[in-house]
Amino acid sequence: MFRGVFGEFVTATVRVHRSLRHEALSRVVNPSSLFVRSFSDVKDEGGGAAPPPFDTGLLHFLVCPLSKKPLRYEAKTNELINEELGIAYPITDGIPNMIPQDARLIQKDAPATQE
Amino acid sequence: MAASVRLLVRRVTRLSHGHVTVCPSGPSGPSGRCCWAPSSCRCFSDDRNTHFGFETVPEAEKAKRVYKVFENVAQNYDVMNDAMSLGIHRLWKDTLLHVMNPQPGARLLDVAGGTGDIAFRFLEYIRSQRERQRRHVARSMQALSWKDISDVYAAREGGEDGPRESRAVVCDINKEMLKVGKQKADSMDMSAGLSWVVGDAEELPFDDEQFDIYTVAFGIRNVTHIDQALQEALRVLKPGGRFMCLEFSKVRDPVLARLYDTYSFKIIPVLGEVIAGDWKSYQYLVESIRRFPDQEEFKRMIEDTGFYCVRYHNLTGGVVALHSGYKL
Repeated sequence: MFRGVFGEFVTATVRVHRSLRHEALSRVVNPSSLFVRSFSDVKDEGGGAAPPPFDTGLLHFLVCPLSKKPLRYEAKTNELINEELGIAYPITDGIPNMIPQDARLIQKDAPATQE
Repeated sequence: MAASVRLLVRRVTRLSHGHVTVCPSGPSGPSGRCCWAPSSCRCFSDDRNTHFGFETVPEAEKAKRVYKVFENVAQNYDVMNDAMSLGIHRLWKDTLLHVMNPQPGARLLDVAGGTGDIAFRFLEYIRSQRERQRRHVARSMQALSWKDISDVYAAREGGEDGPRESRAVVCDINKEMLKVGKQKADSMDMSAGLSWVVGDAEELPFDDEQFDIYTVAFGIRNVTHIDQALQEALRVLKPGGRFMCLEFSKVRDPVLARLYDTYSFKIIPVLGEVIAGDWKSYQYLVESIRRFPDQEEFKRMIEDTGFYCVRYHNLTGGVVALHSGYKL
């Protein structure tokens, strides 16, 4: 019984203070990440090139998750290209995204559906 | 986007299997599925269900919901870990590193590594090992001949550190978690030898036999097909490589178990609500712990995959188990 009352008390307190607490806490919790974010923003603007450079050393063991074949780094579009399947994996913030669902199909002259 | 994914998968299966009956310019929408040859239907069979905490959900949905959970908790992940485990998670991770005992030059793949705790510890450990080795070498080189001294200078100019540099790759399916981890690395200035990749544990974007050590800390219970993740672990490990898994497990002692249950179900979601403003994610967390197989069963799963010398250590009375196996 005490547990039920305690539970209700907690949820009530939480509900009442949630918006205030959440805001206050997020202000408390986030300054470090905010600081880091602004720091990296300054770094990026200072560096000139908007996306941070991709570490080409990764290419030694990074492969396409579907075909397990090596990839080609395309600096212009900042993507990793699998020629055979005609897909491009994007790189955001220097982190390559190797999830097939997020990859882009490269349209070639001969349409992909015909074969 | 779903259509392009279907196109893509069709192309892959055509490449991998010899023959697949595919509808010419297949109709979009669910009716297109029935044209597929039965052998390739596996990826679209969403009549199979799995568990999401104590709920039952179709397999296709679990990954999405897990992604949502970690997207929500990413910013507060480390703070919450400290609050929920009272800081003990640091000891668990330190134990993992001590049992691993990596040598300089080792390559680590940390799957579901998220905010990078294991990778940071790995690099620190290797660095202190290197320092220890250097000190040992310096101590043993106290009385040198001129020839020895010139050899040392030649070696230092030739190549720093002689053998390979150790490298840690953190792979996670969730971009938010990796972003938090990368920010941490940049702020701690620990980016040397560290790489971040967004990838699926069931389909790793790495070539065969690339890594000396594969770790997964508190991540494998969120994977939809654990056996597939284990297969991929076996694939990317070099022969002689080690698989290590830290995961919540079953507590044997009944008194401790009751305390643990009360703490898990009454206090952790409340902490989640108060600190992170997210009750449901932490409810999922404690439920998913209960649904994960126990120490012996997980050991059997690892053995079935093809690992040898599989053993486990119980930490904190069985709250966490460290499983380890070798690829031979």
